[in-house]
Amino acid sequence: MSGRTMNKSRLGALPWIAPAIIMIAVFVVWPAFEMIRTSFQNVGATGQSKGWAGFDNYHTLLQNPDLKNVLIRTFIWVVGVVFFTMIISLPVAQLLNANYPGRKVVRWSIIVPWAASLVMTSTAWKWILDAYYGVLNEIAIDLHLRKESIDWLADTKQSFIWLMVVAVFVSIPFTSFVILAGLSTIPNDIKEASHVDGATSWKSYRHITFPLLKPSLFVAAVINLINVFNSFPIIWVITQGGPGYETDTTTTLAYKISFRDQDVGQSAAMAAVNFVIILVFIGLFLKASKNQEQN
Amino acid sequence: MKKVTRVSALVATTALIASAFLGNSAKAADVVELKMVAADYANMQPFWDDLAAKFTKANPTIKVTVNVVSWETIDDKVKTLIATGQTPDVVNKGDYSAAAAEGLLYRADEMVSKKTLDDIVPTFLNNSKYNGVAYAVPDLASARALFYNKDILKKAGVTKLPTTWTELEKVLKQIKAKVPGVYPYALPLGPEEAQAEFSIWAGGNGGVTFKNGKWVINSKENVQTMTFLKKLTDQKLTQPNPAKCDRTACAQTLFAAGKAAFINGSVFLPGWLKDNGGAKINLGSGSFVAAPGKKPVTLGVQDYFTAYKANGHKAEITKWMDFIFEPTNYAAFLKAAGGFIPATKSAGANAAKDPALAPFIKLLPSAIFYPGDQAAWPAVKGAIQQQIGTALANPQKALDAIQAKAEAAK
Repeated sequence: MSGRTMNKSRLGALPWIAPAIIMIAVFVVWPAFEMIRTSFQNVGATGQSKGWAGFDNYHTLLQNPDLKNVLIRTFIWVVGVVFFTMIISLPVAQLLNANYPGRKVVRWSIIVPWAASLVMTSTAWKWILDAYYGVLNEIAIDLHLRKESIDWLADTKQSFIWLMVVAVFVSIPFTSFVILAGLSTIPNDIKEASHVDGATSWKSYRHITFPLLKPSLFVAAVINLINVFNSFPIIWVITQGGPGYETDTTTTLAYKISFRDQDVGQSAAMAAVNFVIILVFIGLFLKASKNQEQN
Repeated sequence: MKKVTRVSALVATTALIASAFLGNSAKAADVVELKMVAADYANMQPFWDDLAAKFTKANPTIKVTVNVVSWETIDDKVKTLIATGQTPDVVNKGDYSAAAAEGLLYRADEMVSKKTLDDIVPTFLNNSKYNGVAYAVPDLASARALFYNKDILKKAGVTKLPTTWTELEKVLKQIKAKVPGVYPYALPLGPEEAQAEFSIWAGGNGGVTFKNGKWVINSKENVQTMTFLKKLTDQKLTQPNPAKCDRTACAQTLFAAGKAAFINGSVFLPGWLKDNGGAKINLGSGSFVAAPGKKPVTLGVQDYFTAYKANGHKAEITKWMDFIFEPTNYAAFLKAAGGFIPATKSAGANAAKDPALAPFIKLLPSAIFYPGDQAAWPAVKGAIQQQIGTALANPQKALDAIQAKAEAAK
């Protein structure tokens, strides 16, 4: 009898987590494996493998004249989008946490850009910013801010900034809700105690709330880093990384190498490099969260 | 209770795995399934579904599924299918050479019967060869002309249609001065179809992309061409930012809205305008402009049927292809696609009587074509689409970059 119980517990949670494990194996591990395998293969323009290529694809990738600028831009993209997302999400979370009539509506309305498909949101923004029919131009003209419509996406630097604006816009809901979760864990008595001790609202936020929010800020930052780094639809829908390669990040570049330059092997190498960068991010995350725990 | 739920979790897991495999297993015996992927000229899905149903009625042992895919994604789609071992049997799209070079394709004489092959216009069949052997059957073709909005030209007082770059520049300036709110020339150098715009302009200056076995994208003629286009753009004689202007969503849409005076248009442009809000445009056309002292050219573009060996359905493919080219079916195909030049002699004879097509068919002998027979053409086309727009900032640098890509392409 005791033996049966042992067996049962040895099987443990496996039946419960098996579906998840199978999903991860099929949809995460296997594609990642295939991608890395492809990066070491010589793949023809039609997508057929012609055998092993050693490090040739990586060699070609490193000589890609556009790679350097795209890497720099990717760095600006990730750091810029995550930074502004965090900065804006802090007060938004505060707003969501405050008690006032209609809070539910506000909470819902902030979830919408998160719930909507990224391609949909990006398409909407593409038309908002359109040079000929865009609603942003309409508004600017109606308010007499401008005399004639301008192309918001004309200059490559300016259009990259707009891409970042859209990326921040879609990242805020998730981030502010993570922070909101953090806010709701802070016991009220600590804040009350600080008020009794004569702390102003700002001081109480600065010295009580903010430090206690650090774990959730941390989680939000890292998940955003990964999401933003891998973000494809926003750039692809709005500018296709163009003109040329002027608004590409490594993610859209990988796609272009594969489907415009017809070089699947090199594209897989780019994707593998992306994978390594993400692994470094995750490593840093684990290390930092360990430090946090020790503190 | 606990035990029961654990068992049900196992059952659920098994069901999940089973459902993943079962999807593929239910197939009727002895029926061959042909899979075809076709580009969407107009609204092609109803046409293909109907034709496939008729075909299966006549050939009960062959079932054809046609998957119609937009032009923007069809190359990616077919490549993904091949890379993941789901190669289709027949593909209808704009290139064939890379697949031919890799030995994936049946020859044209294996795809269709001799009777059908003999009916194909020789010029088009010649453009379907790789190393001297035809590996694709042309499905239809198009040619280009300089289209214009007669009302705008009248308002600007333009009486003579420009035939050279110099004349065109003068006319564009005249339009800009006299008809405000209109872009004199709509220049689409965005990714969608930039290779066409580039090719026809370059062709008017004697420039090509491939010559004597070599890629010559950064030739003197081509640099001159892009420099001229830069000059037009810098003087605001085109719409702003041609590099991000796609053919359909930007250039043709501006033209349809009466906001552009001139456009490089394909034979199907009049039909497209009718369906997309440009029915009221008072349309005129003439041959495309050339550099001073050079011969005007038209750009001929043809698309293809290709058949893949992967599934070994040679006999069935031939039956299906011959069925498509049966005169009534082929006429229906052309009709569904909307105003193209036929690829067969028999249908061509009828089209020559069509006033909308006749001038284009006459132009075809002097047409330049893409170097579609080069295995690297898909990659070169991709590089042009991606980067030619940046030539408006620096012609030499952009063309050098494309040339480097072309030379490196496999």
